[in-house]
Amino acid sequence: MIALTRYQVALLLRSHRWIPPAVLYVFGVVALGGIRLPLGAGLAPALSWAALMLVPAVAWLTRSILIAEPSAARACVAAAGGPRRTQIAALLAAVLVGVAFGLIGIVWETFSAGLPRTAATNAIRLGAAFHVVGGGLLAALICLFVASAIGALCNPPVVRRPGPGMLTTTAAVVLAVAWKVSPANAALRTPVTGVRTSDWPHGVPLIAAVALLAIGWAVSAYFAARRDG
Amino acid sequence: MRLDGVGKRYGTRLPWVLRDVSLEIRPGRLVRLEGRNGSGKSTLLKMIAGVCEPSRGTVTGRPITGYVPERFPPSLPFSARDYLSHIGRVHGLAGGDLAERIQACLDRLGGWEFADVPLRNMSKGMCQKVAVAQALLPSAGLLVLDEAWTGLDVEAKAALDEVVAERIAEGGSVVFVDHDPNRLAGLDAERWRIADSRARRVAAAGAAVAGSAGSGAGQEPVSAPVSAEAAETGPQPPPQVTKAAAAQTKPRPVLTEPAAAVAAEPAEADVDPASAGLPAEAAALAAEPGAAVIVVAGYPPGAADPVRLPGVRSASRDGDRVSVAAEPGTSDRVLRTLLGAGDSVHVLSVRTAPGQPGGER
Repeated sequence: MIALTRYQVALLLRSHRWIPPAVLYVFGVVALGGIRLPLGAGLAPALSWAALMLVPAVAWLTRSILIAEPSAARACVAAAGGPRRTQIAALLAAVLVGVAFGLIGIVWETFSAGLPRTAATNAIRLGAAFHVVGGGLLAALICLFVASAIGALCNPPVVRRPGPGMLTTTAAVVLAVAWKVSPANAALRTPVTGVRTSDWPHGVPLIAAVALLAIGWAVSAYFAARRDG
Repeated sequence: MRLDGVGKRYGTRLPWVLRDVSLEIRPGRLVRLEGRNGSGKSTLLKMIAGVCEPSRGTVTGRPITGYVPERFPPSLPFSARDYLSHIGRVHGLAGGDLAERIQACLDRLGGWEFADVPLRNMSKGMCQKVAVAQALLPSAGLLVLDEAWTGLDVEAKAALDEVVAERIAEGGSVVFVDHDPNRLAGLDAERWRIADSRARRVAAAGAAVAGSAGSGAGQEPVSAPVSAEAAETGPQPPPQVTKAAAAQTKPRPVLTEPAAAVAAEPAEADVDPASAGLPAEAAALAAEPGAAVIVVAGYPPGAADPVRLPGVRSASRDGDRVSVAAEPGTSDRVLRTLLGAGDSVHVLSVRTAPGQPGGER
């Protein structure tokens, strides 16, 4: 599995197909950061915004890796590693590159918005900082999982043709961000509606996102083994 | 490995590409799939190779597998060496072993000089060498070749023929499709015909040396006394085939004789691979349990006496034709030595005599 994932990550990086989603992510986080006013000011909304931008970027990354390989090349790898494991490795590769995107986004937002400080002494409030950044990481993880599930379900081998693939991916990304039922949307709303230090705000959305991810990957792997080739 | 009642369709509303295919691929066995374009040969190869799963039925006991696809795309963003390293690691190779295998596989096909050329800069032939090399990285197990020879230069084609012969002699198995009916005609192949989405065995292993004539002409084979006799003797094989059968199956000239062609029907019967369709002396040699029996033609008169070659247990010579029984495990070396004796040397058959894991029945 490590060798398969390593191959897929190399394929994604060496083919330069990671660049357009990366540009989208950087543009979204840095340039569009100014329009996130509805989310409010401060670190928590900034991290939410960075997480939100992961949804289109990682969905695109997933599409990129799923269409990176001609089917004959995929067949050679599948003969060596099995078609389902090869497919999971490809999806995992997109998630790993997505993790790198997310970490860069979180670091950027943390430095640009600044950590929470006390009004009196201007010292960093460690407890609050930990909670906000931790919440941001979880929100990013939820968005990452949802985006990967979207990428898996809306692209080859599940949706094979490029037109329908791109349209369904875009529609699903918009829904995931805007629809209240979506775990990604729930994760994004939580820091805005107020942070309570006593409980874990992202529990339910995280479980939902993991479930969505498992379904998306399972369906994609099934199609790779049964319908492709 | 075996396929049981395997069927394949690419969607629930699409027609069956293949249905109810049951076949077994034993160690040391060469299997040839035949059929028209679009008959499902490639699909069956993919299921055998484990590239895709059947819609119905089961595939069990697949060994480590190398697969050469029909058309290998040059659009991957790797050099040959990097690509082979990735595939080798997926096969579980690592470090020095991996580097050695890559060099050995590329070298064998005459592609080592292109090791650091990006695949996208390669010609079709170079790319095909990489495609074949990646399948050869595992040194044992199953080799699945979907018109793997297409686009290779003459030397690489011959090298691939040799690799196939060696793989079988070592107890691996090879399944192939090729549009050239004479491909591997000298080797002992089990032949399957794919038609109307079903697979039918048209020749058992052991009938192939003679049977290649039938496939060679690309026509339905005609009934022949040789195969009928071979089929009859199948269940309780005598140590040697009868003189008449042996005389008729003298390999080289007979390859074009219709009388030597194998009938579709008799071949369905169990033909003992160690005796049927094989020259008398090789059949005698095959009686030595565990030995790999290699028959070559075109052996130069001045070359070393084959019985003195390292690893050879016994040998016999009939003009330019040489049959040797190699000690188990040395067949690879013996084969190479024999082929190295001159440009005219070519392999007629390689098979493993009963009595070891790679043996028959």
